[in-house]
Amino acid sequence: MSEVIAQLTAVGHQYEEGPEIFKGVTFNIEKGSFHFLTGPSGSGKSSLLKILYMGLKPTWGNIRLFGEDTLKMKSSLLPILRQKMGVVFQEFKLLDHLKAVDNVSLPLRVRGIDAKLSYNQARELLAWVGLGDCFEAYPHSLSGGQKQRVAIARAVITRPQLLLADEPTGNVDDDMGIKLLHLFEELNKMGTAIIIATHNPRLLERSPYPQLTIREGTIVKLPRSRML
Amino acid sequence: MNNRHDLPLKNDIAARFVPKIVALMVYLGTLCFVFTLFMIQSTHSWESQLTTHLSVEIPTLPGTGSGALQSKVIQLLNRTPGVQHATAVSQKEMTTLFHSLLGEEVNLELLSLPIVIDVSLNGKEKIDTQSLEMYLKNISPQIQLIDHRNWQAQVLGLIHTSVLIALMLTVLILFATLATTTFATRTSLLIHRQIIEVLSLIGATHSYIARQFQMNALRQGLIASAIGSFFACLTFLGIVTLLERAGLPFVVTSSFYSQALCVFILAPFFTAFLMMLAVRFSVLRTLSR
Repeated sequence: MSEVIAQLTAVGHQYEEGPEIFKGVTFNIEKGSFHFLTGPSGSGKSSLLKILYMGLKPTWGNIRLFGEDTLKMKSSLLPILRQKMGVVFQEFKLLDHLKAVDNVSLPLRVRGIDAKLSYNQARELLAWVGLGDCFEAYPHSLSGGQKQRVAIARAVITRPQLLLADEPTGNVDDDMGIKLLHLFEELNKMGTAIIIATHNPRLLERSPYPQLTIREGTIVKLPRSRML
Repeated sequence: MNNRHDLPLKNDIAARFVPKIVALMVYLGTLCFVFTLFMIQSTHSWESQLTTHLSVEIPTLPGTGSGALQSKVIQLLNRTPGVQHATAVSQKEMTTLFHSLLGEEVNLELLSLPIVIDVSLNGKEKIDTQSLEMYLKNISPQIQLIDHRNWQAQVLGLIHTSVLIALMLTVLILFATLATTTFATRTSLLIHRQIIEVLSLIGATHSYIARQFQMNALRQGLIASAIGSFFACLTFLGIVTLLERAGLPFVVTSSFYSQALCVFILAPFFTAFLMMLAVRFSVLRTLSR
């Protein structure tokens, strides 16, 4: 049986004075697994990812990440757990005052890795996602698709144990979408568990991975859409 | 590289006014501290002179043999237990002293200046000033024994209070500097809340974020304090020169010059270090909330 790295038990969330987004969500994420998180707009995909990367505290339920009960653990453990994750934010969350290459190398620097080494790795990764000619550019001069690729590169540079991506192919064309999916797959082969929240039907059609679908506030696990 | 700036702190609004305030505070603080040192040193040398010296004043009256009187008094004083030696203050020294107090234009020959005998005490034996005064009055009733210790305690009390106030003022200036730095840091944390959130989401520890702020504070503190200290040093030298030109009896010794120089050199490092600690503490405290 695979090692469980994230365990959600009866998790529910309700924003202040808002409706209940989901309730009783229970599922496990195993090491090296690959899931798509789907559901209609407003179903709570982003909120569920936020809960997973501890950017949002659930109203109900219990979450264990990498063996730690996130609701009871010491706050000093939070950065340590986050260092095991990579997150691609829907709104990118790039730092505007840093060049693309510095944005990408940031997670490495935060982990205390040598600046030169971080810089070189970031350059290589940017070249791989097709941004080899604009690694010195600032985010404001990049297009939406380019920003998205920078955000993806930043999330994967540390080879995290868990990668959470919110609509990572939302701003890129199909070819680039497939290329990025291959990047995620390569990472997955190295043991990273991946959850991708997406609307993109083409991506779902082309992929053989199971789907976690939020339906009427609960989560439904759908089998693989297609075998390789 | 951990000391890299992931936060754009140099462009902060706070970054514009904090160095100016720090420079001004260091200017005032170092001057205040050097003044305190000067007071302590002057009081110490003055105090040691007063506690080990007495003065005897023999009025020069027409028709009296003041020379004979002087030698009688000196003989008596030198025989008295507790006295190391007694010597008459020379006419030249008296003239210099009175000219410095009354001005060069005053004709001292028109004044009947007394003979002043400086009595050095050995400090080992306690001198009985009441008996000594009685013996001196026996020689001549006009002779006066001046024991500076009678009024010294009051003057010293006043000086010590001034020193204490100056020291408190220095500490207050230091606290004001640190409080300004802390408030500016909190403002900066608010300004950069979104960036800090991103750093936090990608796994930056509180300590890593605090390091960004503290390195900036150290750099700012060093530059601003150095400027403040430099101008304080110039002001100090200016004041000393003015006092010397005015001929006021302030003695600035070479050892004091080196002490003051040490203060002016060390103040920027000390201030910057404290600023760095204050900023680190402030960031960690805010983030832990």
